[in-house]
Amino acid sequence: MLDKLLKKHETYLFLIIIAYAVIVTSVNRSFMTFENLFDILRSGAGMGILAMGVLVALLSGGIDVSFTAVAISGGYIAVRVIMATGVDNLFVAFVISCSIGIFLGLINGLIISYFKLPTLIATLGTLNVFHGALTTFVGTESVNARQMPSCFVHFGSAKIITLANDQGSIYGLSVFVIPLIAVIVMTWFILRFTMLGRGIYAIGSNRESAKRAGFNITALQLFVYSYVGFLAGIMGVVFVSEVRWVNPVTLIGTELTVIAAVVIGGTKLTGGSGTILGTLLGVAIVTVLYNTLVLLGLSAAWNNFFVGIIIIISIGITSYRNKIKNRKSLSFKT
Amino acid sequence: MSDRKLFKTVDTKIWILAVIMIGVIIVLTFVLPGNFLTLRNFQSMAYQFPEFGLLALAMTIAMITGGIDLSVIATANLTGIIAAMIMTNYLKAENAGDPAAISVVVLAIFAALIAAAICGLLNGVLISLVGVPPILATLGTMIFYSGIGMAITTGIGVVGFPDSFLEIGAGKIYLFPVPLLIFTGCALVISFILNKTSFGLKLYLVGANPTASLFSGINNRIVIVNTYMITGLLAGVSSMIMISRFNSAKVGYGDTYLLQAILVAVLGGIDPYGGYGKVSGVVMGIIILQVLQNAFTLFGFTPYAKGFIWGLMLILVMIINFGTSRYQERSKILRMTDQEVAD
Repeated sequence: MLDKLLKKHETYLFLIIIAYAVIVTSVNRSFMTFENLFDILRSGAGMGILAMGVLVALLSGGIDVSFTAVAISGGYIAVRVIMATGVDNLFVAFVISCSIGIFLGLINGLIISYFKLPTLIATLGTLNVFHGALTTFVGTESVNARQMPSCFVHFGSAKIITLANDQGSIYGLSVFVIPLIAVIVMTWFILRFTMLGRGIYAIGSNRESAKRAGFNITALQLFVYSYVGFLAGIMGVVFVSEVRWVNPVTLIGTELTVIAAVVIGGTKLTGGSGTILGTLLGVAIVTVLYNTLVLLGLSAAWNNFFVGIIIIISIGITSYRNKIKNRKSLSFKT
Repeated sequence: MSDRKLFKTVDTKIWILAVIMIGVIIVLTFVLPGNFLTLRNFQSMAYQFPEFGLLALAMTIAMITGGIDLSVIATANLTGIIAAMIMTNYLKAENAGDPAAISVVVLAIFAALIAAAICGLLNGVLISLVGVPPILATLGTMIFYSGIGMAITTGIGVVGFPDSFLEIGAGKIYLFPVPLLIFTGCALVISFILNKTSFGLKLYLVGANPTASLFSGINNRIVIVNTYMITGLLAGVSSMIMISRFNSAKVGYGDTYLLQAILVAVLGGIDPYGGYGKVSGVVMGIIILQVLQNAFTLFGFTPYAKGFIWGLMLILVMIINFGTSRYQERSKILRMTDQEVAD
């Protein structure tokens, strides 16, 4: 039992989080409070949703870096459409944002599957194309908190549980955990119980054998990239509601942090291997670090320093183990 | 026989690029009369392109080995900050008095280049010894290096360099701007390394087929480590030009160069899957990009619109490359079957 646990990447991630929590709590008592926990959950929800998409893309042996542009396109256009039409409905916002997400994701999928381009470079291109198109054709005007349609504002401040702290001020668990949990369950279901999920793992671990086994690679890739787009659409609305202020140039540039979180979670870039639990722990580590280094008395300027070290160590360990294993089986792939 | 064929295909790619380059220049001369084809405009371009040109060369070498280096800009920023801190710390007291200033500047540049080589070394070690895929290794070090830069500067720019250092970015020897001369020198050295040394040959072999190169007695690890050290050094040189031109060093300078560096490498005929590519092609790619960049600025495009066009170009170039390589393969197969029939 213990042996099995020690072999798992997730166990180490869990231990890192516990060790970090102990250190921070010993320095600053305000870390281990529900208020702080709820706060971390609220700010990590968006990243968690995106990370599920990235996980699926990595499992299929590809990568997608364009999802931030997709998310901000979805969120921003949804806000502008709702402002213009006056239909103040959160459901409509989600429908608009997700359709844009699926559409842009399909473009990625078509380019990648039809022309067999390297996914990193192709999506780096579409990242700039989507963002450039948004800022050039839709506009760069920011929407501030007063203009923001009330459905977003309500969604951003709604709570599932409300508690009061010692000083009597009220805080609570944000409603953002609902889309987060829904996305996690949906991704888990697809990966675990459907032929689609088996196919994603199959084309990630060995494309040629997947093809021979009868999987439709083009269809699977189209699904993967539109799914990433769909989740980015959901995240777009969550993000806009979270900050209550939207500018089409925000969010761009954070894509590598999300990928880093997924990679810390033990997902292999070469495809076919990675778990939802690991990904969530990776997201947790990055979010906790970003939000609580301040409690240790370090400024936010140190964020990337520590995240960088954790990524290098984490991927170093995973890759080195893999390399040893390959050498034992006389496989000399570098 | 097959050698000659190989050279022929290389030449066609280079020829196409040359035609595109000259075509773009001619079209722009007519579209922007009096603005584009002037000595001043060309001189200002010669000041602008070397910094991203060097980053593109760095990316090129990494891509020839079948890898990629996402950390070039973070390396450049970190080394720039190190040089800037040495200069500003040691020169405050003397107020940039000339004789001592030179030695401090030389020391600063030396320290920066060593730091750049160390950054590259770490990338190389992670990729070759630890076995991390290049995208991931350099993604991690990119966050790490910019994290170091951020931690030591807290995001504030380091400003105020001695005049002798500013010459790197603004100086001129006869008609030729110093950045252009530095870039030309680096391009010639890299071209020499790739074409005339055994290391260059090994680099292509490792990129084309790492397993085959391992079994033919090449030490892949040393080749990869050296490759990423050269990549780091080029980023360091680029950063010297960059901070000298801005007269400050800061985390986040040149963030847009990442896309441009990859675009130029792909445009210049580098195969992202490794094993193929020429410095001359990349240099022409750099010139084409700079000329277009200049024209877009004269047209008054926003940076976002530029990003849109670069992204679109990157995808289109890759699609065209996909099409031509497929066409070449098909004609090769046809030729082979024809020969069989003839035999």
